Amino acid sequence: MVRDITIGQYFPGNSVLHNADPRLKLVLSFVAIIFIFVCNNFYSLALVALFSVVAVLSSKISLKIILKGLRPMLILLIFTSALQLFYNKQGEVLFTSRYLTITTGGIYTTIFMVIRIICLVLVSSLLTYTTSPTQLTDGIERLLSPLKVFGLKNGVHTLAMMMTIALRFIPTLIDEIDKITSAQKARGANLETGGIVKRAKALLPIFIPLLVNSFRHAFELSLAMSARCYNGGEGRTRMKQLKLQTRDYILMFSMLIFVGGVIALNIIFESVI
Amino acid sequence: MSLLELKNVSYTYSSGTPFEITAIEDINLTIEKGSFVGIIGHTGSGKSTLIQHFNALLKPTTGQVLLNGKDINQSKQSAHEARFKVGLCFQYPEYQLFETTVYRDIAFGPTNMGLSEDEIKERVREAAELVGLTDELLKKSPFELSGGEKRRAAIAGIIAMRPEVLVLDEPTAGLDPSGRKKILGMISEFRKSTNSTVIIVSHSMEDVASLAEKIIVMNKGRIYKYADVHEIFTKSEELAALGLEVPPVTSIFLKLKEKGLDVNTDIYTKEQAEKELLRYLKREGIAW
Ligand SMILES: Nc1ncnc2c1ncn2[C@@H]1O[C@H](COP(=O)(O)OP(=O)(O)OP(=O)(O)O)[C@@H](O)[C@H]1O
Ligand SMILES: [Mg+2]
Repeated sequence: MVRDITIGQYFPGNSVLHNADPRLKLVLSFVAIIFIFVCNNFYSLALVALFSVVAVLSSKISLKIILKGLRPMLILLIFTSALQLFYNKQGEVLFTSRYLTITTGGIYTTIFMVIRIICLVLVSSLLTYTTSPTQLTDGIERLLSPLKVFGLKNGVHTLAMMMTIALRFIPTLIDEIDKITSAQKARGANLETGGIVKRAKALLPIFIPLLVNSFRHAFELSLAMSARCYNGGEGRTRMKQLKLQTRDYILMFSMLIFVGGVIALNIIFESVI
Repeated sequence: MSLLELKNVSYTYSSGTPFEITAIEDINLTIEKGSFVGIIGHTGSGKSTLIQHFNALLKPTTGQVLLNGKDINQSKQSAHEARFKVGLCFQYPEYQLFETTVYRDIAFGPTNMGLSEDEIKERVREAAELVGLTDELLKKSPFELSGGEKRRAAIAGIIAMRPEVLVLDEPTAGLDPSGRKKILGMISEFRKSTNSTVIIVSHSMEDVASLAEKIIVMNKGRIYKYADVHEIFTKSEELAALGLEVPPVTSIFLKLKEKGLDVNTDIYTKEQAEKELLRYLKREGIAW
């Protein structure tokens, strides 16, 4: 069900990751994602996996939620692994028959891909799981603020705000799709049979209310924002000033160790993919 | 005669995964033809999940749903047919309107039934009249209506399918008193004119008490009790233990009794309250 997608949601809590500076989290997630792809042998891959597991554990978010976030990736994972496994012809041949050949190259790439995708989803969803939308905007805005010198004065703020709002509404809209679909089915809407044109047409009763509701949400939100005197980033001050603290430096240091570790392992051991 | 029958029905969301949650469990239920049933229960007790089984929107994880003695989940065809026999109106149905005119939106259900033009026309008119939508409103875009009108248009869309059973999930949620009254009046009117079976989920004990004949009390995914209105609302302590209340009039009479007035507390509609008060006053010699 579409409802099972949890990417983009925020789960309030009190953990190392929840309390960290959002700017730092943004940068560190970005670095972590790069290094998920930098690793090229099993030792550095293991370190990446370990890093992701530690990150997940330190977020104190229940395993249930984490698994729920991974579930939508399952089909993608199975599909791409199958492709890699059966069509990658590099390396030694381990098994061969008339229809399929399995090689070490295929197995290696499959393992790498599966672990990389899982880590990628874990790390990127941890960012939104542990950072509230307001904090996220704050972080994005501050990080992009150097762009202001290029004449993008209000643009940075607007962009950050738009991103946050978009993220915020993903779960709401998913919920809505679910409800509208059930309601139209209750009136005998047939979504499962017929040709492609007929099926596309059958989606209208779902998409139109969804669109109308999105506009409604947008109007309500803009009204609520102007009721609180929102008028863009100009002259806006913050209740919580962002300032790096000791715990943030500790986090940074741990990240440095991770990065150093991956690089070192990459150099020491031979690349396998 | 039993119209709808649930046998050992359980439903688990996200079944077979670590995040499964059993929303309803081991439900056995018989709805008699022509009865008016209210469903009450605490938030999350599984009311909405339960009613989605009545028209095969949800397929029970275990158990059977019988409509007129036939299993509605037997085939796709039977499930599809059940949607028309059991008209289900979701909570806040006004957010599901989509057509260019109110008329066409009400006609959506009948059209899906594959009826003829004339038949559709007749049914739409009939449903619109029942919910009090004028011809003028029928020509408008559904998005131009007021909240209460939208709600009525959406319910008309279900009624136009002429279901044997009309199921409504919180039909009065979020309406003002006059809008609420209109919807409730409309539901009674529908029942009187068609002799259909009506099932209504509501958080308002007052609404349920004034309309329903029998009540299902849900608690933690199970049926706590299924009995006549009278029997349910005379046990205010039991309801309180489930986090539910008795209708406002009942609680007034309970308070009166507490104060030492010798009144009957077995009261749950305004009419009964009036009668009982008059009887009391007469007996005490205050009024006559
Ligand atoms: N689509 C869904 N996916 C997963 N869990 C769900 C879903 N819908 C409902 N649930 C869960 O099932 C349980 C019963 O929900 P249900 O909506 O049936 O309750 P309800 O009695 O209608 O409550 P309310 O009075 O708030 O409408 C709840 O614990 C809810 O969290
Ligand atoms: Mg509900």
